[in-house]
Amino acid sequence: MSDLNDEYDAYDEYDGADGHGASGAYDERDEELHDGLVEEELRQAAAILDPVPAGLRRVAVDAFVLRDLDARIAELTFDSLVDGIPVRGETDPPRMLTFSTDAVTVDVEVTADGLIGQLLPPGPAGVEVLSGPRAHARLTADDMGRFAGEAPPAGPFALRLRTGREVVVTEWLRA
Amino acid sequence: MKVLAAVGTTHSTAYDGTSYTRGGTVDRADVGALVQSAADGDAAAWKSLVDGLGPLVWSVARSHGLSDADAHEVYQTAWFRFAQHLGRIREPEKTGSWLASTARNECLKLLKASRRWTPTDDPQLLDRPSEDRTPEESVLDSEEAAAQTERVRLLWQEFEELGERCRQLLRVLISSPPPSYQEVSAALGIAVGSIGPMRQRCLRRLRARLEARGTK
Repeated sequence: MSDLNDEYDAYDEYDGADGHGASGAYDERDEELHDGLVEEELRQAAAILDPVPAGLRRVAVDAFVLRDLDARIAELTFDSLVDGIPVRGETDPPRMLTFSTDAVTVDVEVTADGLIGQLLPPGPAGVEVLSGPRAHARLTADDMGRFAGEAPPAGPFALRLRTGREVVVTEWLRA
Repeated sequence: MKVLAAVGTTHSTAYDGTSYTRGGTVDRADVGALVQSAADGDAAAWKSLVDGLGPLVWSVARSHGLSDADAHEVYQTAWFRFAQHLGRIREPEKTGSWLASTARNECLKLLKASRRWTPTDDPQLLDRPSEDRTPEESVLDSEEAAAQTERVRLLWQEFEELGERCRQLLRVLISSPPPSYQEVSAALGIAVGSIGPMRQRCLRRLRARLEARGTK
């Protein structure tokens, strides 16, 4: 592979060339070279005009604290957005979500008004509503495994449930 | 062959003609090792992953024509979920594809949620530069760089006037460092084998547009 600087210089020469548009003036290898140069120039343009916003990068760096090696991850097994059948006439249906591990199921319903959940098998649990590396709310599931709270703030959220036996965390999801 | 891209800080003092460099010191092949280190608690390894793979995740969100707010949420969801799955990823060396695929799924969901299919045809969405200013932008603000700024803008403008599929493919291909074709495939749900031919067609369309404008 040639050095990228060389490629870039080559493009400068191409810049100054005349008559490049004539058909057949370049063979396929040249064409591919120039494809690569335009791609590279476009990559630089993207880095300048559409980079990862600095604040967003910081959020991803801070997300390191979200690693949770001891918890079991409850995977999303039902999402009304994907699996649901739309109800005629209902303009803003609640988002129904089901998360499952081998042993536990968590049903969650999110509306603008709030969040309600059901832990199965039923039982008490501490429930943390996570909404990023920092903010969170604490709820309690009653003896029937029911819990309720305010709707999670905008952005992705996850629930961390502490039952008597284990810690379960739902997959991060945008409500 | 696609070169194995480097993971690490991308340093780009574009358009000064001499000091354009790409990638850090860590090869894509080391992604698996970085993921392992991060799972073991190494925050610096995590940061390297964010810097090396973040632009790919961002490009996936941007390529789907989401609003700024939705693109932010897709990016966050992908990283939160990756942090959550640290130590559990079956093929850590394929983390780039894992992140790209996760971001794509979230994009499709948000599009479905908001039925926002039309804005992908709205060039203004892709046209809107991010609010945060980069050192590169500041460099471009200087007087002597005005001509190059104009050239970058022209190039970007022609890119955005390409068809939706070309814009989508190229936006992911031009993330820094360059993604592997496996990652592009995961990001866009297209077969690895079709990426090369589509890339060529799209780049040649772009070149033709530039030549027609006399800017090459």
